[in-house]
Amino acid sequence: MLSININLIIAFTLALIGVLIYRSHLISTLLCLEGIILSLFILITLLITHFHIFSISITPLILLVFSACEAGVGLALLVKISTTHGNDYVQNLNLLQC
Amino acid sequence: MSPYVTTILTLSLFIGTCLTIFSEHWFTAWMGLEINTLAIIPTTPKNPRATEAATKYFLTQSTASMVMMFAIIYNAWSTNQWTLMQLSDNWASIAMTLALAIKLGLAPFHFWVPEVTQGIPLLTGMILLTWQKLAPTAILFQIAPHLNMKILIMLAILSTLVGGWGGLNQTHLRKILAYSSIAHMGWMIIIVQINPTLTILSLTIYIMATLTMFLTLNLSNVTKIKSLGGLWNKSATTTIIILLTLLSLGGLPPLTGFMPKWLILQELINNNNIMTATLMALSALLNLFFYMRLIYASSLTMFPSTNNSKMQWYDNPTQITMLIPTTTVISSLLLPLTPLFITLS
Repeated sequence: MLSININLIIAFTLALIGVLIYRSHLISTLLCLEGIILSLFILITLLITHFHIFSISITPLILLVFSACEAGVGLALLVKISTTHGNDYVQNLNLLQC
Repeated sequence: MSPYVTTILTLSLFIGTCLTIFSEHWFTAWMGLEINTLAIIPTTPKNPRATEAATKYFLTQSTASMVMMFAIIYNAWSTNQWTLMQLSDNWASIAMTLALAIKLGLAPFHFWVPEVTQGIPLLTGMILLTWQKLAPTAILFQIAPHLNMKILIMLAILSTLVGGWGGLNQTHLRKILAYSSIAHMGWMIIIVQINPTLTILSLTIYIMATLTMFLTLNLSNVTKIKSLGGLWNKSATTTIIILLTLLSLGGLPPLTGFMPKWLILQELINNNNIMTATLMALSALLNLFFYMRLIYASSLTMFPSTNNSKMQWYDNPTQITMLIPTTTVISSLLLPLTPLFITLS
């Protein structure tokens, strides 16, 4: 376990807290999701270069592919919400309560 | 939606779950879960409630996927291997348990289940509550020896209590079925370390009963208790099916739903978890209360309605009801086969 891992784990935790606690805009959630993906990508790449397991070198790329698809879906949903509500405030998402 | 799109999305749903269930490498399991999440979001319609439901579903599921990926990578750093059945690192298994709890909708991560189930149509909600539970449960089944029992007990007891109490004040049927799903997932989680076969058995019986409920409700498109009250006029047999299925979901003895609860309580008591078993059994009564309320509304009493409320009228059935008798029989009459299901472990 390298000492850089602590930095990356802190980065992941901060981005995760950013996903869970957001004030008004939905796009900040999506941005923090991208931050999580970035920290995970660097973690995997460090794993590969540190332990010299170059056979799974494709893994960070596959992670990026699926994360890009997810980000696309997230943005599409954001656009759809903006179409109906006009903005992306999260307090507007209250149609389904109770 | 065009039939090509529907075919691709249905295939992706199927492939995603199969990929996760049959995988040995953590990465392919994660990929299957991602495919499942991405495939179900375009199937929601375009009205604002469905968009909101899809957004909430997407946010919770992708957060869970990211936490799960973190658990996988942490495990790869500390144990240098990616085998699905060996999640040996303690912190990694805790993070994986929490990620799977978010994916399954266990309390205290249950807040998305009622709202998402409410916003989407009945058939999409059916896929959400039945098919999407298969892949995370398969992962839990395989990593069962490495799980932390304290966290499992906390998740399970909270889920059954929240599922019971949360459903008491609901009048929308999809939300009631969502809280029922939360409670049943609690029953499945508690036994996964002691006897993982019972988790799969409980999941199977829950899926059969929930399929019956959703398909029956979809026949006459009822989504509220008030609409249930007029169902006796449209087709009385539907009310009988609802009665049998709801009593089976509640876990009453001569019906199939009693089997998983009975076996789970027996396993818990054999392991000296008597307090846990008592709490689970008592919280199942809460579920039974709102099922009984639905039964009262649909078949046992004449539900009150005003003079000028529209009534559903009987007509020649034009919808295919092929699956409903099969699933009704499975979800009510299979209790004598309990010895067969015990020996399937």
